[in-house]
Amino acid sequence: MSKSTGQAASTVGIPKKSSFSRIIPYVLLAPVFIYYAVFWLLPVVSGVKEVFTDLNGDFTLVGNFKLMAESDLFNEAVMNTAAFAVISVILQYLLALVLAVLLSRKFKGAKLLMFVAMIPMAITPTATAILWKTGLVRDGWINTLLLQFHLISEPLVFMNAEGFKAVLMVILIDTWTVTPSVMIILIAGLQGLQREMKEAAYTFGANKWQIFKDIVLPILKPSITTSIIMRLIAAIQVWAIAVMVMGYSKTPFLVERIAFYVDVVPGVDTSTKLAFTYSFLTTIVVLLATVVYLKVSHKGVQKGGEQA
Amino acid sequence: MMDRLSIVQKTVMSIFLAGMALVVVIPLLFFGTVAFSNAAEMSEFPKSLFPSSTVTVRVEPTESGSYEVFYDSGEGYESIITTKDAEKLEKHFRRQYSVTLSGEEILADFSQTLENGPMEFTYKKDMFYNFKQFFSIVPNAAEALKNSIVVSLLTILISLGIGSLAGYAMARFQFAGKEQFNVAMLIVRMFPVVGISIPMAVLLIQMGLYDTLLGLALLYSVPNIALTAWITNSIFIGINKELEEASMVFGANSFQTFMRITLPLAFPALAASSMYSFLTAWNDTISALILSNENQTLALVVYKAIGTTSSGIQYAAAGSIVLILPALVFTFIIRRYIGQMWGGVEL
Repeated sequence: MSKSTGQAASTVGIPKKSSFSRIIPYVLLAPVFIYYAVFWLLPVVSGVKEVFTDLNGDFTLVGNFKLMAESDLFNEAVMNTAAFAVISVILQYLLALVLAVLLSRKFKGAKLLMFVAMIPMAITPTATAILWKTGLVRDGWINTLLLQFHLISEPLVFMNAEGFKAVLMVILIDTWTVTPSVMIILIAGLQGLQREMKEAAYTFGANKWQIFKDIVLPILKPSITTSIIMRLIAAIQVWAIAVMVMGYSKTPFLVERIAFYVDVVPGVDTSTKLAFTYSFLTTIVVLLATVVYLKVSHKGVQKGGEQA
Repeated sequence: MMDRLSIVQKTVMSIFLAGMALVVVIPLLFFGTVAFSNAAEMSEFPKSLFPSSTVTVRVEPTESGSYEVFYDSGEGYESIITTKDAEKLEKHFRRQYSVTLSGEEILADFSQTLENGPMEFTYKKDMFYNFKQFFSIVPNAAEALKNSIVVSLLTILISLGIGSLAGYAMARFQFAGKEQFNVAMLIVRMFPVVGISIPMAVLLIQMGLYDTLLGLALLYSVPNIALTAWITNSIFIGINKELEEASMVFGANSFQTFMRITLPLAFPALAASSMYSFLTAWNDTISALILSNENQTLALVVYKAIGTTSSGIQYAAAGSIVLILPALVFTFIIRRYIGQMWGGVEL
């Protein structure tokens, strides 16, 4: 569409395009190219090189991957990351969708509630960590509340949770922080939903579920696919909350392992190799998710085009 | 009307929304309380929802001429310390209760018990004690705050300078390879920053930029240049080209047109993308962990304070409040533009 307006404009009153104006876009794009060549491509290439050379600098195809697969907590890190990504994205989505649908109704106090719902978005990760850490300890505020409402008779020891339970705790904390940002995207999508369409559907005898399934969901689909993949990508890279609330190695994740090898055991040759290899693995996983997204969203855009 | 809800539906909806509000607000209230609590309150259980502004101790004189101080941490008065040493008392009151009085003043008060027998004393707490402590105990906290501001500003400058040029080019010009360029930018944006942080450290060492604020800003700009290009691209497309052409017809050159017409119209997008850049730089810890040594940012300092001080988490909480405030302000300014940006979602 922008193509046709561009051509039309060049015929109306604007001086004819010289060879100079043809290179303008490339001049404007040059800084990006240079920047990404130096600060993105170079690090990526040298990172990949590190992954495929051993400690002596000789080429190795799978040596470092073997090292990684045999390193402590590798299996746990992979499984936890997968579990975290799937469960957290589903949970946050359902919650955000319900909130978005409820909050886009016009009622007294909807604006105020929306404001409240968005607060966690603005809380920095370190603060979120402290907030939940002071809550989860034995004499923390969560036990205070539970005791006060007589839901328990003895303080619970949350921090002793291990394995899947600990991962579940990290998921809940992440949900608290992240749901608002998903909700906002869905609310923006819902604003594209015109009231008239719903009313027309009612007139033709559609029930609420049909309207949700046939009108609300299709309109929301582009915002949903976009934000699901963005959430998924962020979820794969979870680490900060896990480390700050639970501590290193308690709930291993892919990026948590990178931080572990950089932060806890720095300076050892193998730990640098492991950090590089984990970064490589994480990147591949994220890129796969992106490719899937591009495929899916491309279809979505085509469909959206047909509808319009 | 068709949208009217039954009483049951209304009730369920209200309960759900009220539950949501409580789940958001209650943890935050307790968090605020932690940041303003003294050490004694931190070990109290059950916790109170609001921090106290005063501290009450019970003092009994002992036969040896000392004073025995009792404190109630939830289960009645317990003996805490027995001393007549001014310095010890001063330290104890400062550390445990955030009461900043000199030892002599405290002793002068306590001496009343010699005549009257056991007494209760109530002192005013220094509410900002944790904040002062954070900046004096944690090494370089003040310096780190300054560093965070500088890094964030540099990130905004780089991302905006380079990214908005690309966004403008993509919105206004047709050129070979535009499609591929778009996909490349998307990949860069999705690329995990962790993936390049470690090799970036090597690169920055070679360039002499390791452990510098500029080095950090260069890394934070990587995803943000692409993000800025994407946001500004969609806004520049929305800006009416006829306005620019009219300005040219009236004799303005392209630079004047850009400064007088295009830039003011694009301002909201520029503001939104700079705030995203700001938040990336301001909140990040992992890249700062990898790329800095001496010149730490505030987020990193707070992160380290959580790890090292198991007893003084209230100081770290105070530090994070300093960290939250600008982020909070910016997030709510951006909010207005996020809706616009996601309105026609298409990446």
